[in-house]
Amino acid sequence: MSRKKIETSSRFALGLFACVIYIIPLFWMVSTSLKPVEQIFQKPPVLFPSSPQLDSYRSILGMHTNRPDLYINTVVYFKNSLIIATWTTILVFLLAVPGAYALSRFKFRGRSAYLLFLLVAQMLPSVLLVIPLFVLFKRLGLYSTYLSVIFADTALALPFAIIILRTSFLQIPDTLEEAAWIDGGSRIQVLWFIILPLVRAGLVAVGVFSFLTAWGEFVFALSFLPKTEMQPVSLGVFQFIGMYKSNFDTMMAFSTLVAIPAVVAFLFLQRQFVSGLTSGSVK
Amino acid sequence: MRSLSAKNFLLRRKIFPSREKLTPYFFILPSVLFLGAILGLPILYSILISFQKYNLETLVSGKAQFIGLQNYFAILGNPQLKNALIHSLIFTFFSILFQFTIGLGLSILLNKAFHLHNVMRGVLLSGWLVPSVVTGTIFLWLFNLDYGLVNFLLTSLRIINEPIAWFFQANTAMAAVIISNIWLGIPFNVILLSAGIAGLPEDIYEAATVDGANGWQKVFYITLPLLKSTIMAVLMLGFIYTLRVFDIIWIMTKGGPGTATEVLPTFAYRLSFINFNFGQSAAVSVIILAILLIAAVLYLKFTYGEEKL
Repeated sequence: MSRKKIETSSRFALGLFACVIYIIPLFWMVSTSLKPVEQIFQKPPVLFPSSPQLDSYRSILGMHTNRPDLYINTVVYFKNSLIIATWTTILVFLLAVPGAYALSRFKFRGRSAYLLFLLVAQMLPSVLLVIPLFVLFKRLGLYSTYLSVIFADTALALPFAIIILRTSFLQIPDTLEEAAWIDGGSRIQVLWFIILPLVRAGLVAVGVFSFLTAWGEFVFALSFLPKTEMQPVSLGVFQFIGMYKSNFDTMMAFSTLVAIPAVVAFLFLQRQFVSGLTSGSVK
Repeated sequence: MRSLSAKNFLLRRKIFPSREKLTPYFFILPSVLFLGAILGLPILYSILISFQKYNLETLVSGKAQFIGLQNYFAILGNPQLKNALIHSLIFTFFSILFQFTIGLGLSILLNKAFHLHNVMRGVLLSGWLVPSVVTGTIFLWLFNLDYGLVNFLLTSLRIINEPIAWFFQANTAMAAVIISNIWLGIPFNVILLSAGIAGLPEDIYEAATVDGANGWQKVFYITLPLLKSTIMAVLMLGFIYTLRVFDIIWIMTKGGPGTATEVLPTFAYRLSFINFNFGQSAAVSVIILAILLIAAVLYLKFTYGEEKL
């Protein structure tokens, strides 16, 4: 075998080894969720359940199963997460599109300062925000409303969203816009009808990123939403592990349902995320 | 899409003859106002609270008493702050040590095309957006005393004789949260380091090949030296993102057993939401903020140097 071939196959082998190790947690989550109860506690552990069962998922989704019913209404958490994540996404779009457009198309005083602010803003720990926001929301009467978490989640996703979108806008040549202006379009019309359709990929990436940020967010929900009927899935899982310490199959089914949107979205949008992250972070 | 560097983006200016100078401000105003209200104002408010006697009573009445530096003196005299600081440093150091080394190794590995290498990259990044609550829950199960996969593997490989009660001892609890956090952080390191490696000039490697350099020599004498500024940026960002970790620790151990995994963010959170001492909690926040700002300035210096954005 040639030297080159040895190198390529050893890279392949090492890569495969790394992938197997890395995927264990996610694999184990799905595998456990499909196991019949007696196989969960079996030694040596069963890698692939011999007769996969879906009762754990049925029970999480509130359907009737042979098992004792859960004293936790998991469906409500999904509904709340959907509400919070959808509104966060809408709000991020409304704020990020004009902001990113201005940062990509104009030269104005304060532009560099704003870019710098965005770079630093995405590094701020949620814990530093949660304490003053708690006090502020409490005083403004926003405590224990969806709006409190939607606002906080939007602030968390917005800096990165503007950075990704700006890179998308920068790839659209100016000449295109100029031509549309000559044809008599206003700036807003040109932005809406010409530019936005062209940066679809960037918009999708921003939308998915914002949605997932709100979907999995934990600290804000933990601190601003005391009522169970308003809490998102992150708190659902947290409560579940407190209440059902050893129901590992349902626990993992719940986790799988919460994680799936994130993993699937990432696999489809890998490129956008990767270029967005690198364009904002390293030289 | 090729991965474009931040520097290029920041330098490429698209300038239109703006009919009026105010147009750009009209476009950025909504996001500026929003971020000012939800990010800027709270940070300033936090600094204000750190000089006040702020507890449950004041939360209701809204009238807080100004007490100067008393919160800071109280918190600096509290041995729990030192405890949390040390744990933060241990957590951050070991998380980054492994995340970075593994991330660098994988980036170098994946830099050349081989069978399925893009699929493998996808797999190795798949954890990036998984909600931290889920990661925490999975690792709680993996580190379970009686039925966890980790204890099973370690005992069957005869690395340990008895299953470890991971979350009942200080050192093993710390190890468990660090390992979970390493898993969480690998994608981030791979993404940034891969982009750095992909941006290195091809011809130097060709020249090195002509001169008879082997793969390892290329890594140590070309890749690493050329990657220096990327490496510094990734390390600083890693520090910033690891020092602020809260979720995974709160979910897995709540800072326990005792205070064995209490880090600065969980300590600040506990002061506010369990002890309702918002003033001292804000003082801890300001200390965290100061550490992070220093790191952020260093990061920006490494990344952008003296250039203007």
